[in-house]
Amino acid sequence: MTADKEKRRAISREAARRRRRVESEVFEDLSRLLPLQQSVRDHLDKPSVIRLTLSYIRMHTLLTGKTGTKAEASHKVKCGQVTDGQMVRHEFNGGCGEEEEKEKYDADASEETNMYLRILEGFLMVLSTEGDMIYLSENVSKYMGLTQAELMGHNIFEFSHPCDHEELRNNLRVTAVWSGEKRDFVMRIKSALTHRGRSANLKSATWKVLHCQGRSKVCVAPSSVSCLLLTCQPLPLSHTLLSTQTFTSQHSMDMRFTYCDQRMTLLLGYSTEELLGRSIYDLCHTRDTNCLTKNHFNLCFKSQSVSGRYRMLVRGGGYVWVESHSAVIPNAHSSKSRPGANQPLCILCVTYVLRCVCGLWFKATFTVSTHFIELYLSK
Amino acid sequence: MRPQPPSGTPAPVCGMSAGGCDGAADWPADVSDGSSLPAVELPRKRKGDMEERNSTDCKMEDDLSRSEEEDQQVKIKCFREPHRQIEKRRRDKMNNLIDELSAMIPACQPMVQKPDKLTVLRKAVQHLKALKVGTSSAFADSTNKPSILPQDDFRQLLLRAADGFMLVVSCDRAKILFISESVSKILNFSLLELTGQSLFDFIHPKDINKVKEQLSSWEYPQEHMIDAATGLQVQTDAPIKPTHLSSGAWRSFFCRMKYSRVAGKQEEKHQLPCTAKKKDTSRYCTLHCTGYMRSCPSSQLDSEGDAETPSLSCLVMLCRPLPHGSPEPPKHINAKPSAFVTRCAIDGKFTFVEQQATTVIGYLPQEVLGTSCYEYFHQDDLQHLAEKHRQVLRSKEKIETQCYKFKTKYGSYVSLQSQWFSFTNPWTKEVEFIVSSNRVMSRGPGHIKDEEAGRLKAMQEEIPIIPSLSNGVGTMIYAGSIGTQIANELIDSYRVNSSPSSGASSPFGSTNEKCPLVSPPISTSTAAIGASVGCTKVRHSQASSGGGAASSSSQPDSRTAAGASSATADSSGQVSQLDLDGMVVPALSSFSSDEAAMAVIMSLLETEVNVGQPGDYEDLHWPF
Repeated sequence: MTADKEKRRAISREAARRRRRVESEVFEDLSRLLPLQQSVRDHLDKPSVIRLTLSYIRMHTLLTGKTGTKAEASHKVKCGQVTDGQMVRHEFNGGCGEEEEKEKYDADASEETNMYLRILEGFLMVLSTEGDMIYLSENVSKYMGLTQAELMGHNIFEFSHPCDHEELRNNLRVTAVWSGEKRDFVMRIKSALTHRGRSANLKSATWKVLHCQGRSKVCVAPSSVSCLLLTCQPLPLSHTLLSTQTFTSQHSMDMRFTYCDQRMTLLLGYSTEELLGRSIYDLCHTRDTNCLTKNHFNLCFKSQSVSGRYRMLVRGGGYVWVESHSAVIPNAHSSKSRPGANQPLCILCVTYVLRCVCGLWFKATFTVSTHFIELYLSK
Repeated sequence: MRPQPPSGTPAPVCGMSAGGCDGAADWPADVSDGSSLPAVELPRKRKGDMEERNSTDCKMEDDLSRSEEEDQQVKIKCFREPHRQIEKRRRDKMNNLIDELSAMIPACQPMVQKPDKLTVLRKAVQHLKALKVGTSSAFADSTNKPSILPQDDFRQLLLRAADGFMLVVSCDRAKILFISESVSKILNFSLLELTGQSLFDFIHPKDINKVKEQLSSWEYPQEHMIDAATGLQVQTDAPIKPTHLSSGAWRSFFCRMKYSRVAGKQEEKHQLPCTAKKKDTSRYCTLHCTGYMRSCPSSQLDSEGDAETPSLSCLVMLCRPLPHGSPEPPKHINAKPSAFVTRCAIDGKFTFVEQQATTVIGYLPQEVLGTSCYEYFHQDDLQHLAEKHRQVLRSKEKIETQCYKFKTKYGSYVSLQSQWFSFTNPWTKEVEFIVSSNRVMSRGPGHIKDEEAGRLKAMQEEIPIIPSLSNGVGTMIYAGSIGTQIANELIDSYRVNSSPSSGASSPFGSTNEKCPLVSPPISTSTAAIGASVGCTKVRHSQASSGGGAASSSSQPDSRTAAGASSATADSSGQVSQLDLDGMVVPALSSFSSDEAAMAVIMSLLETEVNVGQPGDYEDLHWPF
């Protein structure tokens, strides 16, 4: 009996192996059709092949599909044809032979894409309404430490901070009516980069704050694909070039001023002493309270924020439209006596003045003084 | 590998763990320590493909040797239970993927029965092949680096997502060397109208200097970069050479660019920058321009023979219009002149009065700033408004007042109705001011004199907090104190709430509930640095007098210092009530980059502050 049983088991095992072999072959065929580098292809497991295939098909649908609104139709991208992105070609077009030219074009196009990405200082992400990362630009590895092939097709909720999920879900709601509507939010994602920028294991991942901006896109035909197109940028402050229309300020965590640079005095008229201890909410137009509050929240819980446009009151009357990019940093000014000690946190803001002084008749609430200061604006 | 902590929670503060499985190779190691088996399961809930990806033998050929149900019987028995679960999960995941795939393939859709896995895969292969037929060879070009998206499509997609356009301008004369087509959707100008023109023709006159500075800032010695570690500017004392900057210097600035409401009227627009017959009525939208300097060989750029400089600097930028609202900030947000916004401190003293208020109340804003709103309220309304005042300070909702009379500069009263909302500082959780949206109800000629002593007496009985009012003159003096008194009640209640033990009797019962002394389920082992609400001490006790930032006495509580780079953490999960002033991070010197510092900060602030309390901020009118 047992010998018979053994024999049957052996047969079924063999059948199973055959099935698996056939399946593997099909998987190999599929992966070969994907436009990936060989090195990447070699390391794909089966689910990854499917994920990437799905992404490929979805992106193809997205790019060639008809969209819901008239406005979108004009954006229709001609897949595979050379469109207006010929900047590099204009610059470097020489009298080359056709094949050479094609190769050169390809190389140039690639360089141009890299330049775009470099200027963007971030990566591109296409999210389905369920949160699947349908597409990620190749440079995502620079920010998340994981490669495009490893991440594409996975769900954003697996990689984002749980406290941001609610906000994310709200942003993912796309209806056919609102194709093209904008998105702007801050979220935290896992980053497997080490301090030195090397890729580490996901186990020791840390959080990275990203500013995501973009719009929704709805394709109606051939198959319905709704998604968000987003650019995701970290918010570095360290290499910002400050122009004369930009100033920095530091605040305690409740947004009271602890420091401001001289440019603020020049632009807005307040001296540092006047501002210390004052809340930024006092300094700004009441109608922008919500904008500031949201900014403050992002800082408290995500540690970085872009404020959007709001009005700052000018000493002596009027206000300016500004936008602030802020981050929470350790307060470097304190506890110098104990260098190894822990440092409290503060908020660093880089504020750009967008428009010159408006509403000069409008008195600042900050100082109830009756004299006007002549404002010195930059050249 | 170390087995995961048995609590099944994500690992600690900074080394946030996504769960860890190392694949088949390590299973024996885990199995030897039997207690860790269940733990291996939980963190891997969402790992799915990732765990397979991480394993060393996940190549296709090895799939043949991968265990399936029948083969499990030959494995060690103690593998079976968790192994089955893992296998099941893997199969489910695969099935889900196959389903998704079949949904995307047209050939699979009209099928009556659900197609089996192999069929779906085969159809997928066919579909991919079909797709390739329609695309150019650039896509599947094996000589060049292949990418999922063709390069052009990618750039288009990027610009679409960024909602911006690429702009390359020469640094010497701001000549537009290149501009991407997406500009036509943003500014309504065609490429023809823009390419080759001077950028300054399209920039708002008042921003021209700013843009000049950004283009050629090596002439200006006042360059500053910020060091994010200290928040201070780094002065560049050394003279700046153009060559140094022409490669890679970063620029980020805002400027206003002209846009056309109607596309296609070329002649008019062409005249606008040159002639100044009428006042320039161009509209501008604010753009955020970011990019970097680049040197381009000039011979290929400028056909006008500008080959004096061997290499030309240009600025390559991405320009994005500001995301919020219309291109131009609306000049009059509130179209109705009969409504205005004011802001007052918690004691009712005005700190902000909108300009259009003057048409309603007669006073200029500066005339009323610093005075108490109670001085303008009619006595009949004092009681009801005082009650609303108390209410708004304790509520997160918007409070509607009834109609009330507001005394104008000329002695007459105007009928208003207001919506009050108290602003609570997100960090300190203390009410800082009250915003009032005021509507005019009627501008009737109500001249109600305030000399009725009988009424005053009646008021006196109803509101004992108003000291006895003997004559009309005294009314004004005491009215203001109503507000102060209400504010003091609030401040006192903050003091009372400074320790959780005394929270029971506080009118701020709602705020005390948010004190996260009990850590919510998710990340228990992380340091509980909550913005603990009622647990903070009153730091700015002189709210009404607007005193400076008072440093509070810090509680020397035990704090769990976040170990920045260590992946291990205090697994006992010390939950400590931290004083906000004393919130700490390890010294920066141990980090090698700004990003590392940021990582620490983020990891500190990531914790369960608002986990489980999503309702707190619902009424903060976020746009989504």
